Amino acid sequence: MRNPVSVLRLPRGPDPNSRGFDPNSPRFLALCPTSISSSTGSGSDPVQMGEEQCARSALREGFLRALVAMTNKPVQFDMYERVKVHATFGSSDIDVLNFQVSDLHTPIGVQKEALLRCQDVILYSFDL
Amino acid sequence: MAMRQTPLTCSGHTRPVVDLAFSGITPYGYFLISACKDGKPMLRQGDTGDWIGTFLGHKGAVWGATLNKDATKAATAAADFTAKVWDAVTGDEVLTLAHKHIVKSVNFTQDSSCLLTGGNDKTIRIYDLNKPEAEPQEITGHTSAIKKALWCNNDTQILSAADDKTVRLWDRNSTAVVKHLSFDMSVSSMEYIPDGEVLVITYGKTIAFYNALSLDMIKTVDAPASIHTASLHPDKDFFVAGGDDFKLYKYDYGTKEELESYKGHFGPVHCVRFSPDGELYASGSEDGTLRLWQTEVGKTYGLWKCVLPEELVSENSDTIYCTPAAPEIKA
Repeated sequence: MRNPVSVLRLPRGPDPNSRGFDPNSPRFLALCPTSISSSTGSGSDPVQMGEEQCARSALREGFLRALVAMTNKPVQFDMYERVKVHATFGSSDIDVLNFQVSDLHTPIGVQKEALLRCQDVILYSFDL
Repeated sequence: MAMRQTPLTCSGHTRPVVDLAFSGITPYGYFLISACKDGKPMLRQGDTGDWIGTFLGHKGAVWGATLNKDATKAATAAADFTAKVWDAVTGDEVLTLAHKHIVKSVNFTQDSSCLLTGGNDKTIRIYDLNKPEAEPQEITGHTSAIKKALWCNNDTQILSAADDKTVRLWDRNSTAVVKHLSFDMSVSSMEYIPDGEVLVITYGKTIAFYNALSLDMIKTVDAPASIHTASLHPDKDFFVAGGDDFKLYKYDYGTKEELESYKGHFGPVHCVRFSPDGELYASGSEDGTLRLWQTEVGKTYGLWKCVLPEELVSENSDTIYCTPAAPEIKA
């Protein structure tokens, strides 16, 4: 009767709340510059990268401010399959995978609370 | 006294795991990617199986997955008719390559500049990742769905296996067929070992080894059950295989002798690969799990701990592998 090999612990499983890729992991911190190299290609120039990073920061900030400004406002969503709905925007999840909305007006009635899948949304508009 | 193998089970996928691949050895260790019919390929730390992240974006079963040598890029092939390239550090999708049918196989060149794809449209495609909008180079000839397409011979040639029961060797520049192997049945898997130019092919109950340059047969070994996958150890002393009977078999490559067989999976084994350092091998199964197995059972490596004989008498001998303490691991 052979003894089974001991194990320190089991492999860690996925985190149910996130898609992972911990930005604080040593690998991410060391290799992070590659995450913005897709548009500059290989052999990036630091000045150009700096400018690109500024532009990316500005766009990201604008996007986040828009999400905040949209809170509790009526928003129109144009989606695939020629779907146009409007609802009161609640919030987005951290990875912008889902939008939480209230009073979603659909062709088959009004849904009191709903989640819209962001990948299905083509554009959304609201009045400031 | 010989120890009994304790496989490490990696949970997280909710459907069968159909493909897996290791990266090379990087300054941060080596990594493992798994392709799953749930459409959510996962990246794991290679020596522990710890989950690192899930690549989200595919809208169908993922049939093939691969990592580049330094694990900075990943590529996946899916039933949603696309192949995708990902940043394997951030998990972001970098490129979507539309195809005309289910994509089954993806493979990077050594320098990660080109991606090879193959699938149900019977065409092999070469994409230049520095010019992704450019039309890919196409190689036609197979008369059935392509299962696997791999770069070989220093990325100057391509090996492909298809449901037309052939394995073909193509020249990358001329796109012409160089050599052709025919079988009586479909090839279930193919692995290419650049160091030594060995090709491992499985079909029926057979694991066959060929010279990858000449396609001359080196040897064949028959297993007790239908085999879906096999992998040769980097030192070419062992190979492992798995298939329909849910077991993993370990053979001596030199003598062809069956050394061990391991139970553990609850479904057919679809893929198995040795890690780049040869210390473990990972298997993916219909049961939705990946399992890591030690090459040298009892050695301290990764999450396995060598226990000295005196310690065996103490509490250690039954701390193995009971119900996991961590409740957050959900299928």
